[in-house]
Amino acid sequence: MTPATLIARKEAGELLFSLRGLAWLLALCAALSVFTLLLIGSTELSLLDNAQVVYDMAGLITVMAALLAIIIGIDATAGERERGSLVPLLLVPTPRHNILLGKLGGILIAWAAMYLLSVPYVWAVGSTGQNLGEGLALVALLGTPVVVTFGFIGLALGCWVPSSRAGLMTGMIALAVSASPLLIGPSLRQSAIGRIFDTINPISGAVNAYDAVIIDSQAILAQWPGMAVTLIWLAAALMLAVAGFNRLSA
Amino acid sequence: MDLLTIDHLSVWIGDRPILSNVTLNVVAGEIVGLLGPNGAGKSTTIAAALGLIPRRAGSVNVLGTDPDRARSSVYRDLGILPEQNGFYDWMSGDEYLAFFASLRGEEVTPAETASWLATVGLGPTKGQRIGTYSRGMRQRLGLARALIGDPQLLILDEPTNGLDPRGRHEVHELLRALAARGTGILMCTHLLDDVERLCRRVAVIAEGRTLVEGPIAELAGAAAHPDRYRLRLSAAPPNAGAVEGLRQVKSDGETWVVDLDPGAVADAVWRNLICAGWRVEEIRSEGRGLESLYLSLTDLPKRKAA
Repeated sequence: MTPATLIARKEAGELLFSLRGLAWLLALCAALSVFTLLLIGSTELSLLDNAQVVYDMAGLITVMAALLAIIIGIDATAGERERGSLVPLLLVPTPRHNILLGKLGGILIAWAAMYLLSVPYVWAVGSTGQNLGEGLALVALLGTPVVVTFGFIGLALGCWVPSSRAGLMTGMIALAVSASPLLIGPSLRQSAIGRIFDTINPISGAVNAYDAVIIDSQAILAQWPGMAVTLIWLAAALMLAVAGFNRLSA
Repeated sequence: MDLLTIDHLSVWIGDRPILSNVTLNVVAGEIVGLLGPNGAGKSTTIAAALGLIPRRAGSVNVLGTDPDRARSSVYRDLGILPEQNGFYDWMSGDEYLAFFASLRGEEVTPAETASWLATVGLGPTKGQRIGTYSRGMRQRLGLARALIGDPQLLILDEPTNGLDPRGRHEVHELLRALAARGTGILMCTHLLDDVERLCRRVAVIAEGRTLVEGPIAELAGAAAHPDRYRLRLSAAPPNAGAVEGLRQVKSDGETWVVDLDPGAVADAVWRNLICAGWRVEEIRSEGRGLESLYLSLTDLPKRKAA
């Protein structure tokens, strides 16, 4: 087994066997439960078209996964440094990029767990409507680069900031700014600034593709411009994380 | 054979010098003590020697290689117990050791991990989660991790921290056995007793500089005051200058430092003191060479004034 795989397994173990990791997954389930109950139970929301409901759930899952990725990323670097367990890992005879890859592996395993947990919720609210399968496939296809991007941002922040608390604050602000296209109204998104922001935003690429495929029934492959923006952000976040890992010190 | 050589090492953090001139070396089969007061730069020296923080000047050679150039290959033959020694609480001790052994590319069997645990006195805890370990048990586990792969050089930051007397004794025996097998050991500690029991050579650093480095016997011999004692009194002495057997008496505020006349028998002098009305609560010998050396070297205000 390679060092990266071993570290990824360790990170996954930390998520599944430690109270901290399980608490995050429970929080995710609680949030999805509340949102699902609202969609089903609220008189007005229950009138939404099923495709719209799947689209809303897809956006929510992506943003929550990005949130989890940034938290796990910061915890895997700044958190481990504070707990004193990072230095022994840095002193292992393996290149730093293997440690980075292993940490990323842990984030991807967390994303896989989160995705699997969210499938029953999406099925519960959207099983009778159109494009449920396409929606789920798209969340896996486009959600993954978004999660990896924010995972790298979290790992990089954890390397650069002095404490995990400062990292979490910065990460939350970065995520709130990135997720704002989901929060601002359609009219604001149509303004010049809104359009620019929408174009260069890593989450917008995924969310706009969900809109096009789930609601407008367009082909998944036609969504490559949005994917390209997300991939550019992914590359930038990767460079930041590599630079951060190379400067990681005791 | 030199396993670790640090030569005029200088480390700055921002525009502040942390280490300005640290020099020491460790050869195969010896245990070297690295001593210094809190904040002297001991842990920074170790971190810089391992390439964990950048150095500004000087050279470091670990097992024939500069760790800044080939970090991974240096770490392969090195066992380290760092100051920050955190663990994964959800793992058991044997899982933890197997994880680090695998990261070093070693295939380990349960029998091997059990043997490592037994070496550091954690044999009965096999399968027990680290989260339930005491501080001393964690320290032993960190030591077991440092021993994975039978390293040529061990760098240990406060290896007996948190250990009970028996644990300390066991660790001393273990380190002696390792040194006898040819392992070089750099031991950073506050405990002079550990250094006196284990080390042949010592380096004392303060304010980021090596103050002395060399064999303890030579350094401590030069600083020894076999006739010096420190006394705690419940009241000021009534006649400090007129007691037979006393050469010099001075107060440092809380205690009194007395030098006996050469050839004076200590028991007789204490009897004279009590008969003369001294209210003695405690008598402590200051004559131990290493302690005297350490105290005189690290008395920084006095050194600066001098």
